[in-house]
Amino acid sequence: MTSKIKVQDLKKNYGENHVLKGIDLDVQNNEVVVIIGPSGSGKSTLLRCLNRLEAPSSGSIVVDDVDISDPKADINKVRQNIGMVFQHFNLFNNLSVSENITLAPIELKGETKEQAQTQAKKLLETVGLADKFDAKVQSLSGGQQQRVAIARALAMNPDVMLFDEPTSALDPEMVGDVLGVMKDLAKQGMTMVVVTHEMGFAKEVADRVIFVDDGKILEQGKPDAIFSNPQNPRLQDFLNKVLNV
Amino acid sequence: MKKWLIRSLGLVACLLGFLGVMLPNHTAQAAEKTYQIGTDVTYPPFEFANDQNKYVGIDIDIMNAVAKEEGFKVNIKPLGFNAAVQALEASQIDGVIAGMTITPARQAKFDFGTPYYKTGVVMAVKKDSNIKGFSQLKGKKVALKTGTAAATYANSIKDKYGFQTVTFDDSNNMYEDVTTGNSVACFEDQPVMQYGVAQGLDLKIVTKPANNGNYGFAVQKGKNKALLAKFNAGFKKIKANGTYDKIVQKYLGTSSTTSSASTKKNPKVADKTFTIGTDVTFPPFEFANDQNQYVGIDIDLLNAIAENQGFKVDVKPLGFNAAVQALDSGQIDGVIAGMSITNERKAKFDFSSPYFQSGVVMAVAKDSKVTKLTQLKGKKVAVKTGTAGADYANSIKAKYGFKTVTFDDSNNMYQDVETGNSVACFEDSPVMRYGIQQGTKLKIVTGPAEKGDYGFAVKKGVNADLLAAFNTGLANLKANGQYDKITAKYLGKDEQSATAKAKPAATQDTENRSFVGLIKQNKGALWDGFKETIWLTIVSIFFATIFGIVVGLLGAAPSKFGKGVSSTLIYIFRGMPLLVLALFIYTGIPSLTGSKIPAFIAGVVTLTLNEGAYTAAFVKGGIEAVDSGQMEAARSLGLPYGKSMRKVILPQGIRIMIPSFINQFIITLKDTSILSIIGLLELTQTGKIIIARNLEGFKVWTIVAFIYLAVITLLTWLSNWVQRRMDA
Repeated sequence: MTSKIKVQDLKKNYGENHVLKGIDLDVQNNEVVVIIGPSGSGKSTLLRCLNRLEAPSSGSIVVDDVDISDPKADINKVRQNIGMVFQHFNLFNNLSVSENITLAPIELKGETKEQAQTQAKKLLETVGLADKFDAKVQSLSGGQQQRVAIARALAMNPDVMLFDEPTSALDPEMVGDVLGVMKDLAKQGMTMVVVTHEMGFAKEVADRVIFVDDGKILEQGKPDAIFSNPQNPRLQDFLNKVLNV
Repeated sequence: MKKWLIRSLGLVACLLGFLGVMLPNHTAQAAEKTYQIGTDVTYPPFEFANDQNKYVGIDIDIMNAVAKEEGFKVNIKPLGFNAAVQALEASQIDGVIAGMTITPARQAKFDFGTPYYKTGVVMAVKKDSNIKGFSQLKGKKVALKTGTAAATYANSIKDKYGFQTVTFDDSNNMYEDVTTGNSVACFEDQPVMQYGVAQGLDLKIVTKPANNGNYGFAVQKGKNKALLAKFNAGFKKIKANGTYDKIVQKYLGTSSTTSSASTKKNPKVADKTFTIGTDVTFPPFEFANDQNQYVGIDIDLLNAIAENQGFKVDVKPLGFNAAVQALDSGQIDGVIAGMSITNERKAKFDFSSPYFQSGVVMAVAKDSKVTKLTQLKGKKVAVKTGTAGADYANSIKAKYGFKTVTFDDSNNMYQDVETGNSVACFEDSPVMRYGIQQGTKLKIVTGPAEKGDYGFAVKKGVNADLLAAFNTGLANLKANGQYDKITAKYLGKDEQSATAKAKPAATQDTENRSFVGLIKQNKGALWDGFKETIWLTIVSIFFATIFGIVVGLLGAAPSKFGKGVSSTLIYIFRGMPLLVLALFIYTGIPSLTGSKIPAFIAGVVTLTLNEGAYTAAFVKGGIEAVDSGQMEAARSLGLPYGKSMRKVILPQGIRIMIPSFINQFIITLKDTSILSIIGLLELTQTGKIIIARNLEGFKVWTIVAFIYLAVITLLTWLSNWVQRRMDA
C-alpha cells in the first residue's frame, strides 16, 4: 500500500500558543482514519493543515507526492483532489443547491453547465436529496445542508475526503442521515480523515483510530484495541467521559 | 388649547399696543411743518452719500434749494426707491424726489411737480460699424427691449426710417443680437447704454439722446397740493436765478465725449492672456450684476488696463482666500481683489502702485445705539477672514474687550449684525458704503481708520512685465480720466459720469424680489450651477467608487502589505476634513509640483479621495462581514482567491454594502457644496454670487436648499427601488 498523505513532525503555533507539537501520520490509500480527542487538543487544526487551510509552522505534509508545506506548491491544484466537509456546512448562501455543487466543476474542470448539472443530480440522489436540486440553501435543514456540502465536495471527484466534525452542529435526528452517507462513501473505498465525537461511527467504520491530546498523537490503532483496551491514561480518561454519559 | 388662545391674544394685543405707540409718533412728526421727503439710497448723480457720508446729488440739492427759496424745512430720508414710493402711498412721508420718471401709471397714484430733469434715448451700434444715423437703418433690423422708453421711441420712428425691430426681454440679449450682427443697432436709455459700454460691450453710442422722459417730484394724489405748489414755485425761481443750472453743472459738468483710451500696446505683454483671481463677492470691487456678469471697480479697472496695454485677462472669481492661495501656488498670474497692501503680503507678493485708498469703518444695525468702540465691551463683533477690517478688529479687541466672529463672506457678516448676533462689523469703507446703498440694514458709525491702499498683486519675482504693464496702464487711465469714471460708476464720487449708474440702480430697485421673481431672474445661473453640481457629483461618484472598491478589496486581501496600504489611505483621506483636502490639492499640489490644476479636476480629485476612503472602509467592512467559512469552503474546493471573491464573497458582500453606497452617493452630492471654496461655480457658489448682488440671503438659500433636497429625494427613491430589487 502507498501513502496517500504523509505527515512528518508537523508543528503549528499561533504566537506562543503551540497547538501542534510534532505530529507524524501516514494515511494509506482507501484507509478511513478517525481522529478523536478532547476539545482544544488540536485535532481540527491537524485536519485543516492537510489541505493547508492552516499553514504549518514547521514539518512537512506530502499529499500525492506533492509537499504542500512548500509555499511554492500549487495548492489550488492539490485541493481539487481533497474534498472537505465543515462543521458549519459553509454552503454558498448566494447560490442555489445545484449551483453550489456545479460551481467548482464548471470553474475549474471546464465542464459545461449541462455536464455539471447531470453529475450534480446523480450526487444529490446518492445523498438522498434529488428533490432539492433547485432549492435555496436557506430553505434546507442542517442535515440536508451537510449532505449537500458532501455532494459539493464529491463533485470534484477527490481521492481524499476530510471531515471536520461534520455532525457536531446538527440536531440529533439529523446525525444518522449524514453518517449514513459517510458510511456509504467508506464502503466505496474513499480515503477519509474524519474528526468526530461519534464513537459509534469510529468503531464501525474506522480502519484506524487516532487519539490526539495536547497537540500530540498519544495512541493509535484498530478501533477494537482503542476502545476495548486503551493504554494511555489520558485516553482511558477521555473514553470514560465520552462513553459513560 | 385655551392657554394657547390666551397667549396668542396676548401677543396680538401687545402688537396693537406697540403700533399704537408708533403711529401717533408719525403724526406728531408731520405736524412739525417740516416736510418728510423720501429719496433713493443710491442713484448718482441724483442722490448718493459723498465721502463724508452726507447725502448729496442733484435731487437733494434741488430740494434744499427749493425749500430755502420757499421758506420751508425738509427732512430728506434715503429710503430706497421702492420703499420711498410705498411710504408715500401710505402717507408716511410727504413727497418723493428720487430720479423718478413721470409715467401715466405713476400719475394715476401721484401728483407730479414741474419736470426737473430730462432723460433720453440713444442708438448704439457695433464698434466697427459704419452706421452713424437713423437714415442708414433702412431695410435693416434693430434690437429693442420690451417695455422701455427706448422701444417706444424706436417704434415711433421705424416707419419713417424704414427699419424692422426685434424685441428682447433683457438688455443682454439685445446687445448680443447687435454684437453678433443679427441686428445692426439697438436703442436704449442713455445711462443704461453707457453703463453697458463701460462694462466692455463691443458697442458704441452714435446718436445724441432723443428727448423722451422727465423726472418729477411726486406727492400723494389729491393731497399735499400746498407742498406741490411750493415746489413748483420754488423750482421756477431757482431755474430763473441760475441755481438749477449751477446744481446740474456741479454734478454733470460739461459732458465729455467718450474718448477711447490710447491704444499704444505694451510689447512685453501684448496679446498675452493672464489669469487673474478675484473675490467672489466684494462689491463694489467685484460682484456679479443682474445679468450674472462680473463687474465692479476691480474688474472694470483691470479690463481697462488690459485694453490700454493690449493684453488679455481671464478673470476668475475664486474667493479672496482661494485667490491668494492660488497666486501663492502659481495657479494664477495675479490677484485684484480689493486687497490692501500690507508688509506681510509684500513678503510673498509684488504689488502694483496703489489703485485705491481705503480705510476700515465700523457699522452697526440701523436701530443700534452703538456708536463708539468703547461700547463694544463684552460684545461680539463680526469680521470677514483675511480682510484689513479683520486685522484692525483683532488689533483692538483686547483694548476694547470685544470678541470676534469670523465669516468667509461679506453678506454672512452683514447678516450676523442685522440679526443681532453680533453688535457691529468692521469693513473697508467703500465696501460698507456700497453694501448699505444696496439695502443692507446697517449704518456706519465711525470714520475710516487704518487707511490703507489697495494693490494689484503678482507672485514675488514672477510676472514683473504684467506688474509693469498694470502700473503703466493705471497711470494712463488716471491721466485720461477713465479711472475716475470707473470709480464714479460704483461710488458716485466723481460727478463727471455718474449718470451711468443712474438707470441700472433703478432697475435693481424694481427687481421682483418674490421667490418666483428670484427664480425667474436667476434661472440661468441656478441651472448652470445645478448642472455643475450634478456633473461634479456624477464624475466624483464614478471615480470614488472605483477608488473605494480597489482600496477596500486591497484591505480585505490576505496580504499584509495590501492591508497596510489600504488602511493608510483610508486613515489619511477619511481623516482629513474635506475643506482642508480641497485647499491642499488645489493650492498645495501646484506649490509642490509647479504645475496648475484646473479647479474642476482638483474638485473631482478631492471628492474621489475623500468619498473613496469612506467607500473603501465600508467595502472592506462588507467583505469582512461575510462569514469566513464561505471563503474557506470556496478555497477548499480549489478555487483561487480571485475567483472565490468574485463568485462567492462579493455577491454576498455587495448586498451588505448597498445601503452604504447609497448613503455615500447622497453625501457626495452634498459635499460638492464645499468645493465652492476653490471657486467652482456649483450650486452653492451660484447662491453666494446671487446673494452678493441682491442680498436676499434667506430667499436664495431657501431656493438652493430646495434644489438640493429635490435631487436627494430623487436619489433616495432610486436607491429604495434598487434595494427592493436586490432583496426580491
